[in-house]
Amino acid sequence: MQKITLITLLLLTSLGWSQDNQYATSQGSVSFFSYTPVENIKASNDLVYSLLDLDKNQIAVRMLMRAFTFEKALMQQHFNESYIESDIFPKATFAGVLENFDAAAAQQTCLISGTFSLHGENQQIQFKSTVNKQGNSYVFSGDFQLQVADYNIKIPVLLRPNIAKTVSVTFNFEFLPYEAE
Amino acid sequence: MKLNRYTLAFLLLSPAFNMFGQQELLDQLDAIAPDSTFTVQATFKSTRIGIGHSVETRRKGVLEVTAQNRFWNRPTEETTQTFAADKYNGRYELAYGVTDQLTVGGAFGTGYTSIDLFAKYRLLYQKPKLPISISLFQNVVHREKNPGIYSRELNFSDELAYTSQVLIASKINSNLSLQLSPTFIYRNADKLIDGVDPSSFALGFGARYKIGRFVALTSEYFLVDDPSEDITTYGPFSLGVNWEIADLMLQFKLTNARNLVEDKFIARTFNNFNFRNGNLHFGFQATYLIHFKHSNRLEK
Repeated sequence: MQKITLITLLLLTSLGWSQDNQYATSQGSVSFFSYTPVENIKASNDLVYSLLDLDKNQIAVRMLMRAFTFEKALMQQHFNESYIESDIFPKATFAGVLENFDAAAAQQTCLISGTFSLHGENQQIQFKSTVNKQGNSYVFSGDFQLQVADYNIKIPVLLRPNIAKTVSVTFNFEFLPYEAE
Repeated sequence: MKLNRYTLAFLLLSPAFNMFGQQELLDQLDAIAPDSTFTVQATFKSTRIGIGHSVETRRKGVLEVTAQNRFWNRPTEETTQTFAADKYNGRYELAYGVTDQLTVGGAFGTGYTSIDLFAKYRLLYQKPKLPISISLFQNVVHREKNPGIYSRELNFSDELAYTSQVLIASKINSNLSLQLSPTFIYRNADKLIDGVDPSSFALGFGARYKIGRFVALTSEYFLVDDPSEDITTYGPFSLGVNWEIADLMLQFKLTNARNLVEDKFIARTFNNFNFRNGNLHFGFQATYLIHFKHSNRLEK
């Protein structure tokens, strides 16, 4: 009997017995910066999709690499063609959990940990996010650091001075209530 | 099996289980978010494959500075070398992206004292549902002529020649791109020579294969149909390596084409491709890009 109860409970939690408490955005923004004495590279993507599930305190993010815009057209081409290889790996995703999240708090800092998948590599990352509750929306914003080497992104020797080993990533998402169809 | 509530709580909150749920949320997101509809980028890295133009145009506000040259030896025994090779031909070009679709440019050629202007318009972009890109290319070149062989004295417009091309390309995969270039050439001066047809037709074949993230092999060949019986020409062929270093693109090639402007090298290459002196030309091209507009625009 207990076995059955356990299995039922596990199934319920894993399948998600309620999808009512979901929030979504299709216009989240993610930017990254690479600062070196030779060259500063900035890119931003304002078409990032994300889902937030407050029953399970989970978050999922998906961004297309081609939607990053750069100052120079050539940087954008190199980024897609030679570094990120967006033909082969068109998107980056993040799937994580919100720790110590309080859905009712007007302002809080919450810890997010999960798997970031970029250029075919999965890495466990953890970062802090500021969360502001504005009416029925939640605004998540913050930043974290990425090690370029963790994602199998190879930089030719000649260009090593131009690209930082650690890239800082900033994000801003405004989540609105979402009804799954 | 006896379970206390701590074991139960542990199982329910176990990280493995969380991972499963996270993937599920990501799958749900994937179902909502649209797939990429972006146009295919970088069919070729440069506006030229090797010797001829590629389907690529420059982005708006980008100035391209290009130096091209050819070095070759004369077939004679005497040593006439000036700089590593007996003969040298150069062409210096500026091209500017007026819009993302339209690139205009002009160049000065030293070896045959020519001035040429060109425009290239990107008509179609390859997309997930459209397998080809198309660009239209038109140039006009003024070249000083040796007056002796013409039926009358040449004026300015007699010294003009035109090349029109439809450039059709497809990026087969991230490494391989192919191009087909139907070409029409018209030389005003040839109207003034008996037995020479002023027009030529050619079909260009081009390919690039990436052997590294910044290095590609390129090859081009033009099949030329020249109606003039008195003139024996050979199809220009090139085999080269393109190497991209940030804003600089270096192209190295071996070719039988000694000229650098389309009307001449496509329809008037008088030597075949082999490794004998006089036939083998070493070509070097350096292209530097300068961005005048920092627009941060999203491409289509």
